[in-house]
Amino acid sequence: MHRSLGKKTLPELEKSFMTDTRFVQEKLSNDLTVVIEVMPHVKSAAGGFLARTGARDDPSELAGVSHFLEHMMFKGTAHRTWRQINIELDEIGSYYNAYTSKDRTFYYGWVRTGDLERQIAILADMMRSTLPADEFDMEKNVILEEIAMSNDDLESNAYDFLHECVCADSSLAWPVLGYERTIKAMTRDGMHDYFARRYSPGNLILVIAGNVDPDETLSWVNRLCGSWTPVTDIGSARRAPLVKQGKAVRRLGRFHQQVVMLAFASVPAGHPMEETAQVVAAILGGSNSRFYWNIVQKGISTRTGVFQEQYADFSLTVMYGLCEPENCASLHDAMRREAVELVEKGPRPEEIQRVKNLRRTALATESEAPFYRLGQIVDDVDYRGAPRPVEERLAAVDAVSAETVAEYLRMFPITGEGFLASVGPCDWPQ
Amino acid sequence: MIQTSDRIEHRHLGCGIELGVRPMAGRPLVAIDIRVFGGYAYESPSHLGVTSVLEEAITKGTAKHDGRALNDAFDDMGASHSTCTGRETVAFGCVCLPEFIDPVVALLTELICTPTFPEDACQVAVELSQQHVAALDDEPGELAKKLLHQQAYGEPLGRHALGEKHTLATIGRTQIVDHWKRYFAAPRMQVSIAGALDVPAVIDSLEKHFEGFDHRNGTGCSRDENRPNFCVNFTPAYRHYHKDLEQEQIAFCFPGALATDNDFAVEKVLVGVLSGGMSSRLFTEVREKQGLVYWVGAWSDQPRTGGMVHLGASTTPQNVERTYVTLLREINRLADDLTDLEVERAITGLEAQLVTRGDVTRAKASELLDDLFYYGRPIPTEEKLAKIKSVTVADVRRYLEAHPRDKLSIVTLGTRKLSL
Repeated sequence: MHRSLGKKTLPELEKSFMTDTRFVQEKLSNDLTVVIEVMPHVKSAAGGFLARTGARDDPSELAGVSHFLEHMMFKGTAHRTWRQINIELDEIGSYYNAYTSKDRTFYYGWVRTGDLERQIAILADMMRSTLPADEFDMEKNVILEEIAMSNDDLESNAYDFLHECVCADSSLAWPVLGYERTIKAMTRDGMHDYFARRYSPGNLILVIAGNVDPDETLSWVNRLCGSWTPVTDIGSARRAPLVKQGKAVRRLGRFHQQVVMLAFASVPAGHPMEETAQVVAAILGGSNSRFYWNIVQKGISTRTGVFQEQYADFSLTVMYGLCEPENCASLHDAMRREAVELVEKGPRPEEIQRVKNLRRTALATESEAPFYRLGQIVDDVDYRGAPRPVEERLAAVDAVSAETVAEYLRMFPITGEGFLASVGPCDWPQ
Repeated sequence: MIQTSDRIEHRHLGCGIELGVRPMAGRPLVAIDIRVFGGYAYESPSHLGVTSVLEEAITKGTAKHDGRALNDAFDDMGASHSTCTGRETVAFGCVCLPEFIDPVVALLTELICTPTFPEDACQVAVELSQQHVAALDDEPGELAKKLLHQQAYGEPLGRHALGEKHTLATIGRTQIVDHWKRYFAAPRMQVSIAGALDVPAVIDSLEKHFEGFDHRNGTGCSRDENRPNFCVNFTPAYRHYHKDLEQEQIAFCFPGALATDNDFAVEKVLVGVLSGGMSSRLFTEVREKQGLVYWVGAWSDQPRTGGMVHLGASTTPQNVERTYVTLLREINRLADDLTDLEVERAITGLEAQLVTRGDVTRAKASELLDDLFYYGRPIPTEEKLAKIKSVTVADVRRYLEAHPRDKLSIVTLGTRKLSL
């Protein structure tokens, strides 16, 4: 159903807002990749540096180094102290932050369009941090506080435990924050060696979105980053883990609820079936999903869902729920029952269509603001090598069908043993 | 006819709704926010938590659709909808593609005006609320906040949206329906809509769908009834709650400005100086220079009849005293050594936020509704900016003198008590 608005029909209006953007992708002579999305309809701009390094690249004796390094990147450069970095970012009113995950570190800022160059100049300077030795021990204390904070969070404990179990033979097993013992033992020089390799320009991607002139932007990016020296050896190649099957419990008596998780292997990021995997997760465990009506609305769990934990070479479908300890078995049985039902009977066509409809609105929401675009561009460039225009993403959503769901579930079963992990006060499963 | 300027339409509809509409030509979305004046501050003390239960149960069936069909109807349009229980209001929000605004309004009307509150859904809603109350044990930051609000704000503004286990046990379908009948009516609603829309068509749609939605038959409350009872009854105190945690939660507050005070802009700038970015006082003095915390912050909270400035941090037990002393020191020494540059940075942060958030339709709808809630009219961006940009160091010093910190309401949660 379409209604006319002035001279354009709704699909055309929607299309023009979302497809007025265009991408420019360049590689500088030092191998730094620059991706720019030109968004003519916005008043703000966002940009950031993606370092293709995360917890899975930490050497075991340096578990937590990627994350600690993320903190140290704010602590000083040849041109700025930490105080100057902080002041300059606030002088432009930037909304900024950074995060480290298992496979990446991302430093970003969201500013008024006119402040973009200054934002990127500060971040670029930070990418050549001197990792000041006199700030190292102070920041170590902050990391230890962050570990303590994470230990007080049930779901953080659950997430870490799941990876510890399912990826036991790989670096994906250890937590992003590291361990108290590895952080306490870490030295600035050990970190610097890691930094010098992993933050080589060839392992970085600069992503920018906003109402910018790409030629002008590339010109000042070249000025800011063109002199960086590439390093040929950025470290060991990543190895995908073998997804374990089995079960494990971590008993943490100080919590009230239990987290129950079931994990199965899934499609890696960038795989042609990725959108189908997301649809399966949404049908099972999104809002208005089977889990919601058949588990939450039966009072078995306060919150339950399904997410895809995706990397370039490996992925998990994780079904999870939080419940009162006496409901662990019921929650587990209900999750398995819903998975079996979906596999045996397939999705209803209207379920698939609803997820597609919500994805379409989500794409429109994302298209509004440069900040929202950054995350998707980063995923596309990191996992697919290039950003995808919205038509391509809409086409990928539209291509999902009962047939692709059936094919996905054949290739990546969500029944069978999987890995059952449980964290909380209850010693379940025994 | 589409409004192509940024002019906001503000009016009271014949059905009683107070409406703000912000047409934003070319946006790919429409966002609608609705608030009903029937939040948890209105609850009877013996049925605390009934609003939250109502919020859960109201989406489980209407005169036309059962719960699943109702939620499917939203999803059929790709309309992302949400609900939230607040102190004074229950909020309903939705984001959709522009072509669906009329059916979305119809569906929201159905949800708000003709819920059936099925008995089984009501029972599950109560059970879930009870589980959520127990689960607060696993969220130390939220738990500390709940305990501080109870202590500092008094009744009824210091309540928690979920209620208490013993009060939830008294709630059934009867209490839920009673609350809905008493407070859910068009004259007790504020609505804001922003995005690519046809203003006259949207107004007609709301009038048509909400016409006659006022079943209170003289027994319900007008929007402003009981408002004098919703004052902040500030209680200075310190209470420590023992809990086995790796970090201690520190939370305290003192009375600040109302949203309608001239000093509210000054308070916003003060909070920005304390906690706006990484060059702010708290981040610099507590985290950067001493490494005492990962998280530290300040923020302000404005019920309509009061204001409170909050400071908080979480830290390992051996750092509790130093962290608390530093927090106090920083807010107090602002009176002596606040600089023009700090004020400028805080102002720039607030200014930039108005621009960056301005690219987000959902944020503009929410901002408009806040304007109606606090001020009874849309506030032009220029007016907001002018107030913020006029704040000076002298204003902040005057504010600090007018809002003393000699009496605080403090809560700590963890293994170590403060020695005050």
